Amino acid sequence: MVQFFYMMWSLSLQNGRLLKSIKSHDAAVVCMNWEEDVLATMPSDDDHILTYEDRTVRFFPPAPRIPRMPGLVSGDTDLMDDSEDAIHDLSGAPCQRFNILCSGDKNGFICFSIFGIFPVGKINIQQLHLCTKFSRKETTYQLLNASINKVSLSKNLCQLVVLSFGELVEFGKSSCCDDLSVGLHCVLLDTSIFQSRKNELHQVAQQASSIEDLIEVVRTSISVMSKQWSDAMNLFHEKFGSLSALIVDHGLDSSPQDEFLSLLFGARTSPALHQFLVSSLGEAGLKRVSRAVDNAGKELRVVLNEHLQPAVEIAGFRIGELRGLSRWRARFQSMGLEEKLIDNVTEKAGMLLIQIERFSRVLAIVLYQFQNFFNWVLKCIKILLSEPTDQVQPTNSELVVLFIKFLLDNDPIKELFEVNHRIDVDMETKQQVEQLVVLGGFTDMKFLERTLACEFNQLEQCLKEAFLMPFTTISAKILCRDLLPVYSISTSPVSQLPPTSISYYKLQDEVNCAFQSCMPLHSLVDYICFKVPDESFGLTNCIGIIRGFTSNSRFINKEAASPAAVLLRIPDEYECVDLSLYKDNQIILLLNEAFSNSESPGKSWMVMIQTGDLCFLSLSNLEHDFYKLHDLKASMVDMHLENGKIRFIPHCVTKPLAVSASRGVACVFSSRRHALVYILDEDEDEVSDME
Amino acid sequence: MPPHPDLCPFLSPRRPLPLPIRHHQQSPRPPPLLPHQGVIAAPEGSNVEDDQIFLDQDSHLGVFLRCCILAFNMLTFEGVCHLLTNLAAYCNSTDSAYELAEGDDFGNETEMLDSLDTDMDLRTAVFGKCTHEFQSEAHPGESSSLTFPAQNLLYGSAEDNYLREEDNIGVLRSKWQVEGYLNMQADYLEKDASSFPLNSFNAVLTQLQKLAPEFHRARYLQYLNALHHDDYVAALDNLHGYFDCSAGMEGLFTRSSSPRSDILVGRYETALLCLGTMHSHFGHSKKALEALTEAVRVSQQNNDDSCLAFTLAAICNLLSEIGISSRIEIIGSPFSLGTSTGLGTPLSTQQQLLVLLKRSLKRADSQKLTSLLAFNHLALAKFDLKHVKRPLLSFGPKASTKLRTCPIEVCKELRLSSHVLTEFGSDGLSLLSDNGVFSTSWTKNLAAVNNLWLADAIKSKCSSVNDFDIFQFLAQPSPVPRSVLQLAGSSYLLRATAWEHYGSAPLVRMNALVYATCFADAASSSELSLAYMKLIQQLACFKGYSEAFGALKLAEEKFPSVSKSRIQLLKLQLLHERSLHRGHLKFAQQVCDEFGVLASCVSGVDMELKTEASLRHARTLLASNQFSQAAAVANSLFCTCYKYNMQVENATVLLLLAEIHKKSGNTVLGLPYALASLSFCKSFNFNLLEASATLTLAELWLSLGPSHARRALSLVHRTLPMILGHGGLELRARANIAVAKCHLSDPMFSIFKDPSIVLDPLSQAAEELQILEYHEMAAEAFYLMAMVYSKIGMLGKREEAAASFKKHVCALENPRDEEDSLAYMF
Repeated sequence: MVQFFYMMWSLSLQNGRLLKSIKSHDAAVVCMNWEEDVLATMPSDDDHILTYEDRTVRFFPPAPRIPRMPGLVSGDTDLMDDSEDAIHDLSGAPCQRFNILCSGDKNGFICFSIFGIFPVGKINIQQLHLCTKFSRKETTYQLLNASINKVSLSKNLCQLVVLSFGELVEFGKSSCCDDLSVGLHCVLLDTSIFQSRKNELHQVAQQASSIEDLIEVVRTSISVMSKQWSDAMNLFHEKFGSLSALIVDHGLDSSPQDEFLSLLFGARTSPALHQFLVSSLGEAGLKRVSRAVDNAGKELRVVLNEHLQPAVEIAGFRIGELRGLSRWRARFQSMGLEEKLIDNVTEKAGMLLIQIERFSRVLAIVLYQFQNFFNWVLKCIKILLSEPTDQVQPTNSELVVLFIKFLLDNDPIKELFEVNHRIDVDMETKQQVEQLVVLGGFTDMKFLERTLACEFNQLEQCLKEAFLMPFTTISAKILCRDLLPVYSISTSPVSQLPPTSISYYKLQDEVNCAFQSCMPLHSLVDYICFKVPDESFGLTNCIGIIRGFTSNSRFINKEAASPAAVLLRIPDEYECVDLSLYKDNQIILLLNEAFSNSESPGKSWMVMIQTGDLCFLSLSNLEHDFYKLHDLKASMVDMHLENGKIRFIPHCVTKPLAVSASRGVACVFSSRRHALVYILDEDEDEVSDME
Repeated sequence: MPPHPDLCPFLSPRRPLPLPIRHHQQSPRPPPLLPHQGVIAAPEGSNVEDDQIFLDQDSHLGVFLRCCILAFNMLTFEGVCHLLTNLAAYCNSTDSAYELAEGDDFGNETEMLDSLDTDMDLRTAVFGKCTHEFQSEAHPGESSSLTFPAQNLLYGSAEDNYLREEDNIGVLRSKWQVEGYLNMQADYLEKDASSFPLNSFNAVLTQLQKLAPEFHRARYLQYLNALHHDDYVAALDNLHGYFDCSAGMEGLFTRSSSPRSDILVGRYETALLCLGTMHSHFGHSKKALEALTEAVRVSQQNNDDSCLAFTLAAICNLLSEIGISSRIEIIGSPFSLGTSTGLGTPLSTQQQLLVLLKRSLKRADSQKLTSLLAFNHLALAKFDLKHVKRPLLSFGPKASTKLRTCPIEVCKELRLSSHVLTEFGSDGLSLLSDNGVFSTSWTKNLAAVNNLWLADAIKSKCSSVNDFDIFQFLAQPSPVPRSVLQLAGSSYLLRATAWEHYGSAPLVRMNALVYATCFADAASSSELSLAYMKLIQQLACFKGYSEAFGALKLAEEKFPSVSKSRIQLLKLQLLHERSLHRGHLKFAQQVCDEFGVLASCVSGVDMELKTEASLRHARTLLASNQFSQAAAVANSLFCTCYKYNMQVENATVLLLLAEIHKKSGNTVLGLPYALASLSFCKSFNFNLLEASATLTLAELWLSLGPSHARRALSLVHRTLPMILGHGGLELRARANIAVAKCHLSDPMFSIFKDPSIVLDPLSQAAEELQILEYHEMAAEAFYLMAMVYSKIGMLGKREEAAASFKKHVCALENPRDEEDSLAYMF
């Protein structure tokens, strides 16, 4: 069994730069829908005018970016720069409208992410309880082996229409023998939490995704520093390691430590040490090592001062803001922001700050020690070579002793980068930490024994835990409202999914009044358009359109607003490749020549038809068949191409068809791998052709 | 110094002394020491005879041996006998103490031995130059303590107290060590003066001065000692004495990380600088300014740039710390900045300060005085925190100036200032040379190691010891000077302060904890107590008084009380707030009076303390419903704050006035005050205060009638994230009650639809107020709860709430345990 791992790349819409990679799906993503909240500017009651302020921009300079990994070629860095910029654009934009990206995959999972980067929910359509009334009897169904075909979030973010292939069975029952139950089903999900807690979600998502960005900065900083330092130390050990080999060669039984100490105390140099200093290391070699350590130190300082420390500080601030939000139980508890968990994170962030301070101190000391030691060795070399030593900087011999004893064979900086190392803390500090608990310090008194890297991992873990709560809480709040089986297919493993499309239109006049009288804000009605597979209704070359499926639940008593549908038959000479709903009540159909012979190149047509011209029949009046659309077979309408706007394409085209309502263009792919872009609103055949 | 004639017998003992070179012990015939090319001897001629051994007299070993010789010369007859016996015992030893040198397991402990010997040479090194007067002090037996077995005794006396110089005085010390000792004492003095008894330390210093008159630094330490014990006359006298004797030729700033040669030459200007700092320490701002201005002039004359930079920083410090009324022209003619900018417009004190700060920063930067740079960044951050920067130019294109403080600048300055630690040593200028700095801490550490080592040696002789595990790297003396650590630490303290103003409770706590955890070893007691104070204030604010008082007890033990110390202030603050909440108004007034006494009577000094005292006075009056008196006190306080340009306090006082009017029922009168306070807070970015001003505003609107309930509610809602996240228990409870009240007075609101909208905040408020023992408001919360329960027909719950209400009202009316708090106080 091959498992698909699909990485979702979120792209910023304006400039198409890579923002962030999130792995939220395990299977191939089939469809996506990115919906922006349109109601942001509309007036509503007082509470909703209130937007939360992100104070971070007021108090901190722009957040630090991910430090550059040393040794990258320039080509790579360009890419990184861009992504950093983009992340900044995103997190730095406080006025950004609230938007949600939904994506559905082959295994029936639907993911929701705010701003396309912060996951807030994930549901599996297969495990959803689908309650609906068939034959006046309330039954709970379940979709087995379902895969998502299309998702569409309404403009007000309250509802999600999902088209899904699967086997519809009563809940709890295993796969039913009834062939008819397998097919395309239309499910309406209630996502009103996205609307009702819009401001809160916006705020939390903004803080949380910024925190995650900062965490990424911290992670990279630590790994960059670790790498830089270990490179420098490798060089140092490589150079100074030759001393022990020399000692063995000379048949001495001592260690480099002893040799250096005896040199320091002014007694003597053994032949081994002499050879090491004068020939194998030499002044040039020493200067090289010294420069390497010095440069590494500089780099580490820069990363520490400009990336790591600011990132943790800002993250601490943002976590504090989140904690404030989490205490507003009336608003934020319902979306799963748990005060306890955020408190934990706050503690960990504080500890990380202390770890960083300790690290910077160790770093300063170690670097200074190295400098002092190298100066001393340089002086010794000069003396051995009878060169003047007045150019050498003064050294402190006490520090040289410390260096030889503690740093020659050990590397405290490296240890702080290790995850599993335990650091010994002296009694005095331990007592101090214990005292601080009484003063409101961290109750976890062992934190100084952990390393920087370990502390960071714990913080990350806590953050994950804290952000999982909203994720699961919101996921649990997304429930099924309605179910409409569309058609059944006998051949269950659907290799090539028949095309479908969902869109929301402004209401046409005749129905408009019915809606607008009671709910002016939701004056949009949904249209679901799909191609009917030839075998399912016993019809060929047919497409179906359902209108107002979602309105059923809103206006349960109003006949006028109940869902209605129509079936259209396409003339036999054409074959429907793909279809899409477009702009104001139009449908774009992409048709291929049905009987193309191999000699002549294929021909295609793009047809735009007005839905307003079609005659919809209300579904609620129909006898309750499981598949209500069956009843419409009788009233099927023949489509006349002359009625619509037709555009001729001199190639054979393939799926998919993409239309953009806002730009008024359609893009089709010819079988020769050309992408053709059509401007839909103009009459002339303007085609731009792209390879 | 010529090689001592007695060198040879010492250098060729049959059994070598446990010298650091292990080859002596391990190879059958120890390779001799050879003179060759200065310090380091090349190994080529290792076959030379024993009696030809030479040793460079300046090498560590040489110094050690010289000191042995000196000590030997000084030995009394008894001493010699003692030594002889010991030597004999050592040679024929079966004693376990001597085994180490010869046993097969020697290799395992070599490192230990090395370190011991390092210590020996540091500890006992004696220059011939070292004064002979020491001899007279030496007890006959003590010289023998130089021998190896007696080392432990020495450690014992050295490790426990740095003050017991006299205990060790019999041991000869090098000039180097004495210098190290004095430097260290200076550090300790600055860290925690209270642990130094004025007189006994003075006695030590006087003795030292008598023995070694060339140690002028002892005089300086006497000055420091007097300064920290607030003895003005002695301080002045000693300072004069120091500069008279040393003529400033001995640097004061040896331990600062600045290049030595630059500052050592400081002469008259250095003295003036010190005088200026001394005056400002005692609060004589005028005299201090005079001295500092003179110092500026002299250092300009002498082209002493570093001294100039330091002096400018000192002036800035003075200007920012001491309240200067905006009407008084403080800086005299030699220094008129107003004209030097060439604009002709007189600058306000604040602007002068800013100009000075910028100038000092530039100077420090060009001189590469990293510590001073950090100090200046801190000062700038402090300035930016509380001042709106206005363009200095009064003409030219008017850029759109936002009259707001710029927190981003504060953040940047603070980050820059904390670079002092990470950048330490990177410039190569601040390299320490041998100056005995660590000699004292060495002995301390090695004593600990020594004990461990002995214990370990007894336990298992063969176990190989990784000494890195035994004494942690971090516990070793650090090459980073205390002053640098202090500066780096102050950056965190200032961060905590900044976040107190800007309103982020977690960051206040985090930064204070970073300071208390990472910088406790270097911090001065006053700064450390400031960190503790912040932590305890947070406790009182968020966890209630019982925990805060528990922590306070601990802090009091840690910092022995000095009058006017931060801990004492904190105690008064806590007592005052608690008694206000409990309704012990008499006691509150008493505490208030205590406060007032603490402040100095000189105008312009201790401004913070004075404002706090009258603020608390007004609060007490307000609590006892004496509205007009409270308003009068607040008004006069506002005038003072305005005069001294204390904007932050202005906002607080305005808010207090609004509160007074709110409570006295003059709602309409209160509104403008609340709004003024709000606009102050907005332009200074004091978000927490802003939130509480908004809350007061909402309460004012609410009291104007139910028709304003919706407006009030939306005001409260706007501040809720701020208040809940960063406000203390009291503020949170107030906000929750305000939410409930807004709902209840809203005519459109129906309680039956969802009573939890009102009950949840109320019960939360009641819970928090009970922790705080704030009886008055707790009673209010329970009253409202009881009303709601009664309305929705939950009678059992209603009775419960009513009972709690009654309990709190009773507690308010008869304060019980007043004696309790009095006992705590006195």
